[in-house]
Amino acid sequence: MSELTDNTAPEAAPEEINASCRWPVLFLFFSAALWLVKAALIGVMGSFKLHMPEFLSDISFLTYGHLQANAWVAFLFGFGGNAGLGLTLWMLSRLRGAPLARPGFVIAGAVLWNVGVTAALVGITLGDQSGVAGLELPVYAGRVLLIGQAFIAFSAILTYFSRRHKQLYPSTWYLMAALIAFPWIVGTAHWLLAATPVRGAAQIPVGHWASTSLLQVWMGCLGLAAVLYFIPKIIGRELFSRQWAAFGFWMLLLLGGWVNLNSGSPLPVWQIKLSQLASGLFIFVVIAVGWNLRQTARGVPLLGSENLTLKFMGFALGAWIVSGLFTFCNVCPEWNSILQFTYANTALRHLFAWGFFAMAMLGGIYYVAPRLLGSSLDWPCGAWMIRVFQMIAAGVVIITLAGVGMAWGHGQALQQTGIDAAALQTKAIMPLRIAFLGEILFMVSSLIFLGSLMCLLFRNCCGDFSPMALWRQIREGNQKEPVETEGSAQ
Amino acid sequence: MNKAPWIFLGVLFTLSLSWWGMVFGPSVQLAAQSADKGDGTAVLHRVGLAKQGEQVYRENGCYYCHTRTATGGEFGYELRLTQLGDDREITDEVLGDSVKEGDDNHRLIDLAFAFKAVAKSRKAVVDASKAVTEAKDEEKAELETAAATAESELASAYTSFETTFADVASGISDQEGKDNLLFAAYGLSGVELKEKSVMTRLGMGEQIVAANKEIADEAVIKLTDGTAKWNARINPESVVRLKDLVRGLKTRAGAQFKLQPVVINWPDVQNGVAARQSVTRDFMHDAHAMPGVMRLGPDLANAGGKPALADANQFYVHLYQPRLISEKSAMPPYRYLFRKVKLNAGEAAPDNALEHADLEEGYAIIPTEKAEALFEFLKSLRTDALPEAPVVDNPQPANDQ
Repeated sequence: MSELTDNTAPEAAPEEINASCRWPVLFLFFSAALWLVKAALIGVMGSFKLHMPEFLSDISFLTYGHLQANAWVAFLFGFGGNAGLGLTLWMLSRLRGAPLARPGFVIAGAVLWNVGVTAALVGITLGDQSGVAGLELPVYAGRVLLIGQAFIAFSAILTYFSRRHKQLYPSTWYLMAALIAFPWIVGTAHWLLAATPVRGAAQIPVGHWASTSLLQVWMGCLGLAAVLYFIPKIIGRELFSRQWAAFGFWMLLLLGGWVNLNSGSPLPVWQIKLSQLASGLFIFVVIAVGWNLRQTARGVPLLGSENLTLKFMGFALGAWIVSGLFTFCNVCPEWNSILQFTYANTALRHLFAWGFFAMAMLGGIYYVAPRLLGSSLDWPCGAWMIRVFQMIAAGVVIITLAGVGMAWGHGQALQQTGIDAAALQTKAIMPLRIAFLGEILFMVSSLIFLGSLMCLLFRNCCGDFSPMALWRQIREGNQKEPVETEGSAQ
Repeated sequence: MNKAPWIFLGVLFTLSLSWWGMVFGPSVQLAAQSADKGDGTAVLHRVGLAKQGEQVYRENGCYYCHTRTATGGEFGYELRLTQLGDDREITDEVLGDSVKEGDDNHRLIDLAFAFKAVAKSRKAVVDASKAVTEAKDEEKAELETAAATAESELASAYTSFETTFADVASGISDQEGKDNLLFAAYGLSGVELKEKSVMTRLGMGEQIVAANKEIADEAVIKLTDGTAKWNARINPESVVRLKDLVRGLKTRAGAQFKLQPVVINWPDVQNGVAARQSVTRDFMHDAHAMPGVMRLGPDLANAGGKPALADANQFYVHLYQPRLISEKSAMPPYRYLFRKVKLNAGEAAPDNALEHADLEEGYAIIPTEKAEALFEFLKSLRTDALPEAPVVDNPQPANDQ
């Protein structure tokens, strides 16, 4: 983990870096926690509608179509954006050994970003979703997000160039790629799907590229940067191979936007074949990253570790590998043709989003947030964080197993002839009904996480002026008063 | 990997490769696509309510539970002979074992060639007669002899036709059956008879009625059974035979034919989801292309071609309260797309109010413009034939999903 520097500037002390990141990054983390709760709550409401279609059906914005779009936008941009950018800034500062540059820009960017996500949710509620599954962002919200990200990226780039190193740690590559990829992807979607939309059918590959790139490249880079940073750091070892890391990095950037196109998409055959080829080659990304980290952490039980951050990162890595293997399976059109119109794709998105990305982000926040408030501080209410880990892990396992296992039955039924329409619908709905359990677990875990983060902030955010310290003072004051009265009476 | 500018440029370059493959390439290719169907018609834009309906479909996120993507399947080719060439011997040689002597198709071909013989002789008579009229006096005698010969050949052709028809129709007692045979052979012959005298003589009546014209237009002889694939690895013999037949009919016999795809194993067609595979031009004029995420509900690629949308009232009732139409439907009711108006005692409901025995009495449920737009949009979704995606023959009964 140690980096070779050319000594042009002295490396800043961790305390100095943490102090420079404190408010902007904590603001992003807290926003992320709030959006995570919203995403999970909306997700549960959406899933509940499949159990009881009549529930609140007179309200237009509470249909499954509205809720599903809102839940994903809240997760992807609300939680993913805030948590990812927060960790990006902190990790970049630490990796470069320099305090965060221009934190005011970050605050401004974070406010704009959250305004953008709020605008997106309001827009979708009013019926402005884009129609692209996985990128339902309304046009105007996309513009605000791009401006907000530009503010934050400005600070990140200044931090990046504020101190020279002879060697860049792989996490830095991933973080830089994520900063570049986001405007590229959202800009492309804005330009070619909204501002000057390409012709009808061409929107299908463009929309697929944009939504898949956001998932595999943007979220993938952010999550893998955290995994590659925290695992070696906590176990105190050097990363096994920079070459493996570099190979995985470039392959991910190249292939990430191409994978997972449905084999039955109404598109020219070469596009489907290109996607199948990319899905097949994706196994090399999985091997490069997985093998590298496996060798780095050889003999260390990540999931069985006492260290909760390591548990989070271990699960995130495992989920990313499993997700990558499912991506690899799409090299086989027979496999994809069975699952393409079932709940499996959504379930695998949950595996990636919650199992990999959310776990990596929460693990990172669990490690970083206390350090931002004090060098020797531990996470208060920390016992609850293991529950967060357990519940998300259980939810991911339930959704993946139900999603892929039961959706397989649905997919096979779609391939049969003469099957009864009602029986087909039952098979289609069943995996979603089981997945509802997982969604509930996500919701509870997100609430606990928010509560736990609030506990951390309220106790430690402002020294003697933190809400908890003030509350103690008020309580102690109240307790003393009657004693004095009693004393005076005596 | 240690120089920031190189990382920056490398990321840009790699992302641009990814962008080029899945964004630029497809956009350029699909932007150049023509709306022309090749038969004088074009893939049309959606207009009016149907266009607005696409926005209703999008804003409600219908694409999460409904796909618009009928998938492909396994099919073979049935070679259908639609018009015979002029030479009987070459035709027989090309067809080989495909048509066996004595079977129905063989007799149909006999009769078709009898039609051709009559038409040819009749034309010779007309030409000879015209030549006689226009000839100078010194040539007339010779031409009159030729005309007489032509007349005699025509008489012979008539006789031959009558004999052939009597032979071909020997087992058929009813007139309808005989007409079917007669007009199918007429259609296959490719000749066009307009003279009432000739048509009457051949038993076709003075004028061809619409039903018989349809028989003539649709007459085909199936030369293969629809299991042959163009590049099959399985059953290569059938492919060789199919290719030989196509080549022979086209280059030697001068016949016309059609290669009709026929379902072998194609669930979306066999289950009545669509009549063919969805293709890019189905989304050509969409403001927002929404191929769909899951099939929690039925695929809508051919929604407009299904009986469910033939009755607007049934669709609106389904949208208003799905379980009134389908008891176990998991679709949520879209009541907010309707207006509920209380009726005074004795007041009749408006014409466009929903009709269903289980709807609440004393109220008129009226579709809003959004509901009407959605209906029109769904009606515009069809899988009619396109050159790149012909409608596939499905000999098996459909089970409408």
